[in-house]
Amino acid sequence: MSMTSILLLGSIAVPFLASILLFCGLPRSESFLHRIAYLAFGFPFVAGIILFFKFDPSCPGYCFEFLIERMGLHQLGITFHLGLNGVSSPLFAMAGIVGLGAGIAAIHSGADRLRLYLALLALMQSGLMGLFASVDLFFYYLFHEFALIPTFIMIGIWGGRDRRSISLEITIYLTLGALVSLCGLVALNAMVDSPKFDFPSLSAALAQTSLSATSSSTIFGLLLFGFGILVALFPFHTWAPRGYNAAPTSVSMLHAGVLKKFGLYGLIQIAAPLLPEAAMDWSQIILWLALGNVIVVGFVTLAQDNLKSMVGYGSVMHMGYCFLGIGACSALGAGSAVMLMCAHGLSVALMFLVGQFVYRRTGTYEMGEMGGLATRTPVLACFLVAATLATIGLPGFGNFWGEFGVFLSLGELAGNRFFLGLAALGIIISAIFGLRAVARVLYGSPSEEFSKHLEKNPAKDLSRVELLSSGVILAALTLIGLFPSLISERIDREIETRYEFFQEAQSSIGRPSCCPVEGEEKENSPIEQLNLQP
Amino acid sequence: MINLSLTLLFLPLLSAAVTLFFLRNNGRVASLLSVFTAGGILALSLILIYNTEDVPLAWDMTWFKMGGWELKFGFLLDAPARLLLFVVAFVGFLIHVFSLGYMADDSARSRYFGGLSIFMFSMLGITLADNLIMIFVFWELVGFSSYLLIAHYFTTDEAAQASKKAFIVNRVGDFGFLIGIVLTYWIFGTVNLSELADLADFDPKLTSTLLCLALACGFIGKSAQFPLHVWLPDAMAGPTPVSALIHAATMVAAGVYLLLRIDFLFTEQALTFIAFLGAVMGLYAGFCALVQRDIKKILAYSTLSQLGYMAAAFGLGMPGIALFHLMTHAFFKALMFLGSGSVIHACHHEQDIFNYGGLRKKMPVTALTFLIGVLAISGVNFLSGYFSKDAILLGAYNFNMPVFILLYLGALLTSIYMFRLYFITFEGSPRSHHAEEAHENNRLMTGPLVILAVLSVLGGYHTLYPGSLLQYCLPDIDMVALLPHHMWMIVLGTSAWIFGLIFARSFYGKVEQTDPLSDRLPVFYQLCRSKLFFDEIYQFYVSKIQDPLARFIEVMELLFVSGLMVRGSAGISALFALLAKSCYVGKIHSYSFWFIVGTLGFLAYAVGLLAL
Repeated sequence: MSMTSILLLGSIAVPFLASILLFCGLPRSESFLHRIAYLAFGFPFVAGIILFFKFDPSCPGYCFEFLIERMGLHQLGITFHLGLNGVSSPLFAMAGIVGLGAGIAAIHSGADRLRLYLALLALMQSGLMGLFASVDLFFYYLFHEFALIPTFIMIGIWGGRDRRSISLEITIYLTLGALVSLCGLVALNAMVDSPKFDFPSLSAALAQTSLSATSSSTIFGLLLFGFGILVALFPFHTWAPRGYNAAPTSVSMLHAGVLKKFGLYGLIQIAAPLLPEAAMDWSQIILWLALGNVIVVGFVTLAQDNLKSMVGYGSVMHMGYCFLGIGACSALGAGSAVMLMCAHGLSVALMFLVGQFVYRRTGTYEMGEMGGLATRTPVLACFLVAATLATIGLPGFGNFWGEFGVFLSLGELAGNRFFLGLAALGIIISAIFGLRAVARVLYGSPSEEFSKHLEKNPAKDLSRVELLSSGVILAALTLIGLFPSLISERIDREIETRYEFFQEAQSSIGRPSCCPVEGEEKENSPIEQLNLQP
Repeated sequence: MINLSLTLLFLPLLSAAVTLFFLRNNGRVASLLSVFTAGGILALSLILIYNTEDVPLAWDMTWFKMGGWELKFGFLLDAPARLLLFVVAFVGFLIHVFSLGYMADDSARSRYFGGLSIFMFSMLGITLADNLIMIFVFWELVGFSSYLLIAHYFTTDEAAQASKKAFIVNRVGDFGFLIGIVLTYWIFGTVNLSELADLADFDPKLTSTLLCLALACGFIGKSAQFPLHVWLPDAMAGPTPVSALIHAATMVAAGVYLLLRIDFLFTEQALTFIAFLGAVMGLYAGFCALVQRDIKKILAYSTLSQLGYMAAAFGLGMPGIALFHLMTHAFFKALMFLGSGSVIHACHHEQDIFNYGGLRKKMPVTALTFLIGVLAISGVNFLSGYFSKDAILLGAYNFNMPVFILLYLGALLTSIYMFRLYFITFEGSPRSHHAEEAHENNRLMTGPLVILAVLSVLGGYHTLYPGSLLQYCLPDIDMVALLPHHMWMIVLGTSAWIFGLIFARSFYGKVEQTDPLSDRLPVFYQLCRSKLFFDEIYQFYVSKIQDPLARFIEVMELLFVSGLMVRGSAGISALFALLAKSCYVGKIHSYSFWFIVGTLGFLAYAVGLLAL
């Protein structure tokens, strides 16, 4: 076993074993408990970072492959097969980073029954690392369930208001989504005769058997709506803001930041490249529903007075951009969607975390009952402003590149420009709710309730632990904002090979133009023609 | 050269980062660091400007690549970029120095100077960028630094609202700009400025009026033109040197610079549209400035009107003159803003001009330099404003009469409100306690005033500029020099400022606490005060349309999506559950009853009475 395989396996196994250890109630002393928890969240972080930089962007396909034939049902072609490719490598690192932030926040959250809380969170972390590291689709799905089930329990036990009913709702809703997507995956495997249940073999098998248009379209539909429910695609999104609002902060961070990317990952990495024609048939519907995310949910976000539910709705709104990228049916759109997934995972986790810092100082999430926090806690103010600006897509943070790429991909086909016009309204909507929140929380002078609260508990600036947990995430967000090619290069390489079909399909439609040129159709773009000039 | 320009660009970012991480609580060191950085920028800029005489410096490196789209991080240091670089570096440095004095007592100096450094970084980025997407990136970043600096006094409600408004209104403009960039990319296959210029030259049919207007949205937002002008007057809530640097001399002028950068794309109709837009703004802002009481708001409206002049010059096909006016305007408007800062500082942050009076005797240097600024902007013969503004007027006179009439009326108003401002502030006798106690500021503040005053006097003589600094402007300057009706223009221009001077002297020479115009022409005064109700209309939109719509959609979502769809489907399954549950009553009688029914049914099926 090579070092990289150990890291890859360890990033799943270490939090898993730690979780079992904690379930058994083994480390009795508090300090040892903390150390175990730090290990559980620290190892995936370190492994994610090391593997990220060890990843060779020039190698196509999977790196650091690791296979245990005996594990799984090899009669059905299911094997325990790990590996990272250009799309999963940045997401894997992102999961490690968000996990560390959420883990530190949880360790110092002072929750009741901390041991159980940390055990469940570590289990969730193990599942999250596993789902991005899996090559085999069965394990990809299995690890998702590993991460999903602790979510329900944690909302039910440590949640806020209405935790029972919300926990029930989210359980049913997400299980339904997972079930539908599982149907899609199983149907896909059943329809083609593939020796293995992973993308390369499925793709090879699909090339030989020709699926009928109806069945491929049905399978894609199952995957779209199954995964769509898990990513809170409009109108299947209502579980998300309610769930995040009720969930404890670390759970919201991991779920909204990382786990929700499962569905998008499935659509971009598996569904669309395997069934490209079906994806193109469905693209109009995807685009319309995604507009629902951007515009309808965007307006709902505007109406929120509660900081946490605003963050929740905002995260659902920005998922719309990822769907727009998928709906654009091009390598540019899908790649930018992955870019946005990484950045959004970091930014939304940071928002939830900083929101909790605010809550600790104000005692409330209601923005009307705050104000003037910036004079008392300048560093916290700095983090809140940075997180908000990252969320609303300011250049310098990763989100900008994803959003911009998605907008650019929508401009490619003349028929999609309508969506471009409406989707770009999102940049105004997010600026309004983001800056409103900043102004209400930080600027002005404290409200009456808040002044009273302050007399009793004077607000202190960020502690060292808080600084560490949020600083890690913000640093990563800024790094990919300043040097986007750090992750875009590998995403691009992988997506380009998976999305070849779309490139050919788009170019057969011909490059559209605002002002059609009369006479015979141009074969080259203007810039190429210019280069041809003597 | 490339390393030099990279150093130039990233020096202020580095300074801001150092301030953020290490100097948060050390305002004195942070301010010195920022000023030294500005000095470094000036030095590097001058080296760059004089070492890249003829060849435009282009360089590129892949910044982002995805699905066949490649964004290069590149510089294009051509003639217009060199001139703007000079303006940004030079005026920026003077304003940094002035800030040392102005912000000396501020408790959050680190944040202020850090913000200035971020601004310098972003503004240099716009200046040097060689493609539209990079311009957009830095465009957003100047918006951010402007947001940060307007919100400097964030404990006041005014600053909190103004900063938010500035960013959001700018985002509205950026919305159009973004769409314009995307369309440009798909139509031309590139966003690189030099390549675009070649392509537009090669096939003029590629561009369209719609595309130009979409791109011009960026200009309308950033340069605060009609109908997105509402953010600029409010932005005066920021510290005065910020208003001088960002909201007068450089950032708002970046909108005009954007137009120059893509002038080859513009169609006839789009140009005419921009010309009228600018001319209307010139006049409208003049009327607004005429009745303001706040010294900074007067200057803000004046900036709006001068930006309108630049836009008109561009629209009339004289981009060189537009850039020339951008430069002279940067000198005299920065001068006046800093002068107003000097006055505000001396009068303990009193900003109402009717509470000033007689400041000439208390603050002679400020008064004299301010007067020079007033004379320059009014177009007094042989000062800088005379050359640039009258060139625009002469062009308009020859090319487009309606635009000329609007601009000329605007010029008349400019001299009236500017002399009004001067007389009320500096002449007469003090009308408040603060004004009586005012005294001249230290050299850190008067020094920049004097330098800018000298430039406001001499800035119009293009032969004085060394090297090829004005290379971009010269063809247009020469073109205008050859236009007919020269003498006629001199007479008209001179009479405009003389009329303004005499009118303001007689009307505002002796004022008390109220504006004489409100007594003489109350209806006109109120109409101008209302600023044509733009703020009220937008306020109405936000509070009566947008917010209720948001609440309505929220309720609809709750009702139909969470209610009908989610709860409804849960209800239906619960109904089935209820039906099934009703069979399990726990009584042996009913179970035996159902058993018999089942058996009978089975038998009936078996003998063929019941067909399924």
